[in-house]
Amino acid sequence: MSLFEGLRFSGGDTPIHRLDPRAKFVLTASIFTAAVLYFHLLPLLIIFLIQLPIVAAAKVWRGWLRTLRGGLYIAVLILVTNLISFYFYKGRVFTLEMVEYSLSMTLRFIVLVASFSLFFLTTSPDRLSLALEKLHVPYEFTFAFITAIRFVPVLAEEAQSIIDAQRARGLELERGGLLRRVRNYIPILLPLIVNSIRRSLELAEAMESRAFGAARERTNLYELEMGGLDYAVLMLSIALMAIAIYIRVFHPNLGVFFPSV
Amino acid sequence: MPPIVEVEGVTYTYPNAEEPALRDVTLTVDEGEFILLTGPSGCGKTTLCRCLNGLIPHFYSGEMEGEVRVLGLSTREHPPSELARYVGLIFQNPDNQIFSLTVEKEVAFGLENLGVERGEMRRRVDWALEVVGLSHLRHRLTNELSGGEKQRLAIASILAMRPRVIVLDEPTSFLDPKAAERLFEILDLLNREYGMTIILIEHRVDLAVRYVDRVVVMDGGLVIVDASPREAFTSPKTRAVGVAVPRVLELSERLMKRGIPLKRLSLTPEELLEELQGRLRGDGGWSGGEVKVEGAEPIIEVIDVSYTYPNGVKALDGINLRIDRGEFVAIMGENGAGKTTLVKHFIGLLKPTEGRVLVDGVDISQVTVASLARKVGLVFQNPDDQLFAESVEEEIAFALRNFGYSEDVVAKRVDWALHLLDIEQYRGSSPFTLSGGERKRVALASVLAWDPEVVVLDEPTIGQDYAQKERLRHFLMQLRSQGKTTIIVTHDVEFVAECEPRIILMAEGRILADGPARRVLSDVEALEKASITPPEMVRVLRRLSPYGVPCDILDVEEAAKVIAGRFRG
Repeated sequence: MSLFEGLRFSGGDTPIHRLDPRAKFVLTASIFTAAVLYFHLLPLLIIFLIQLPIVAAAKVWRGWLRTLRGGLYIAVLILVTNLISFYFYKGRVFTLEMVEYSLSMTLRFIVLVASFSLFFLTTSPDRLSLALEKLHVPYEFTFAFITAIRFVPVLAEEAQSIIDAQRARGLELERGGLLRRVRNYIPILLPLIVNSIRRSLELAEAMESRAFGAARERTNLYELEMGGLDYAVLMLSIALMAIAIYIRVFHPNLGVFFPSV
Repeated sequence: MPPIVEVEGVTYTYPNAEEPALRDVTLTVDEGEFILLTGPSGCGKTTLCRCLNGLIPHFYSGEMEGEVRVLGLSTREHPPSELARYVGLIFQNPDNQIFSLTVEKEVAFGLENLGVERGEMRRRVDWALEVVGLSHLRHRLTNELSGGEKQRLAIASILAMRPRVIVLDEPTSFLDPKAAERLFEILDLLNREYGMTIILIEHRVDLAVRYVDRVVVMDGGLVIVDASPREAFTSPKTRAVGVAVPRVLELSERLMKRGIPLKRLSLTPEELLEELQGRLRGDGGWSGGEVKVEGAEPIIEVIDVSYTYPNGVKALDGINLRIDRGEFVAIMGENGAGKTTLVKHFIGLLKPTEGRVLVDGVDISQVTVASLARKVGLVFQNPDDQLFAESVEEEIAFALRNFGYSEDVVAKRVDWALHLLDIEQYRGSSPFTLSGGERKRVALASVLAWDPEVVVLDEPTIGQDYAQKERLRHFLMQLRSQGKTTIIVTHDVEFVAECEPRIILMAEGRILADGPARRVLSDVEALEKASITPPEMVRVLRRLSPYGVPCDILDVEEAAKVIAGRFRG
């Protein structure tokens, strides 16, 4: 769960937080693209390291590292499955190329998680939804997105209360074989679902009472305007992406230890 | 001037319901009125609220007869989203009416929906936050707010739309007394300073009666009383329905019965004091009486316990406590004081970070929750967090089967619990089809079924009407007389004042006071620190203490006797 927890915006006000979500999105997208383009350790490592100064400037080390730690389990899984499948595919031999490739795939995953985490940790969903609105994404979509984020902590708290209440009635979640254990979760899931249905009805009533859908043209409390820094980041990100593509296409062997893969 | 709200002969039946929820309701509200709408659960108050902003008939289908007009606009022709400009509705659960992640964005939500221009929107948001006193929290994340702050935020976001009428459906149910009082002050301000019309559903009548100028009582879908607060609460019709009556009113009635010539019945402590001022004899301050609790056999011992949540919040800080077998204890304090955290230790749901908790001599860190649960039955606040079975019978049997009782014992215990809580007629019904009060009783039965030695009830009075609370009180008295150790966690001051248990007063993870109800509830300084308001009787008696009247009396009859004894005319 900590993988997702690390993705949650938790406030903050640094130049990175203040960047226009659109500019930041392009930055994230360029890191993403670069990571997907490369199969080798050195370039991926560089892409990873590029993010460190941004994390430092945004002062989100804690959340960022927590996401990485959350992703560790999957990273190890990627490494092991890659190694094993190569091992059998290549006829039960280990080569350095295999190891590099497997490590690269793992690092790529980490880079992707890291860049997403950086984006969501430093972008308030309110501003993100505004950016989406500016990009003409239908409001119903952004509203659903915001509401989902809003209710994550509420649901988590409710799930905890339900678990506590059922344990107080002698429910032992870890008891029994696999099938029994799955069944053990019924007394937890049912109230959670019923409560959610009830809640959605109440929410709909409250939405009506707040004139949801009254005006054809919705307005927004905030205005999003690209400033100098935003344009700089935008340009830099596009340049980064261009360089990455250029090297990948014209110098595919730059920084490759074991070109045979 | 025409009335701002007109309800004319409205009869409404929900889809799939057999009986109408409203029967020929007629009500007119003038601009600037502050109305208290009350009545037992299921009387139709909430349904009436839904009619006022067009949720009925637009959001709820079903059959509606009659007419509702708001500022002359018929609710049949204008949908809720349009009426939202004129009538704002605020609901009971603060969490289910907040959509945004930050405070100011939430206040702007309605305005954005209405398409209000940005500059105007900014002005209105700032104003609304100012009025409810949340300006300093404008950039805060909404889920970090306390319950009281959330409810004030809900008011601000309605306020920003500048409605002429605000309708609130039990807005203080989840709030502690201080937060509730604060909410009422804001409503009062809106009514007096801004001339807003307010219609309020509320169970805390003692508090509400200070501000409202008209009371409407409903029962069975009918409006049965519609009068000034004094008339409404003294009307035999109101009494027959079983709604709470302001305690000061009850006190002044009893004083009159004892032959004290009062000019009129008082509704608030201030009114009564004015009447009694200078008419009592006696002088000298009152020095508090002390009652000593005799030591018996301990069932729960909390020794130097501190608890810190994984997120770093220290919820308990050096708690020492001993509860004896057969004691009746109320743990009080504002939301977030650590009450629920503490009782979760009694059943091992939480283990102390420091210190030890012993239940019947056994350290809770050494045993499983399931084995502790057999001794300590914990009933949570919201029955919906535990009901899941197909029938009430199955629901009650759930825990018994978990504890491994044989089927014939299970059957016997289920019968016993159904009988105990008087829910035999629902044996085969699905718990989800029952009303709120009935669901609460099923939840209670499902824990009492295995007859635990200690019964812990977390906020048992939340969302309960007067009759249900009375029933609960009798039930608690019954448990007490059976010698069962009973612990309630609550911030319902008047309820506790009537039960007179031992009170443990908590604030910020510490115990501020511990002693008999009379002493703790009259210790105004400690109550203040715990953000608990004193009970009505204490409010009255404290001001009479210059006459030597003791102020540690919680019972209305006893208070009447003491005051009458000092009356000199």
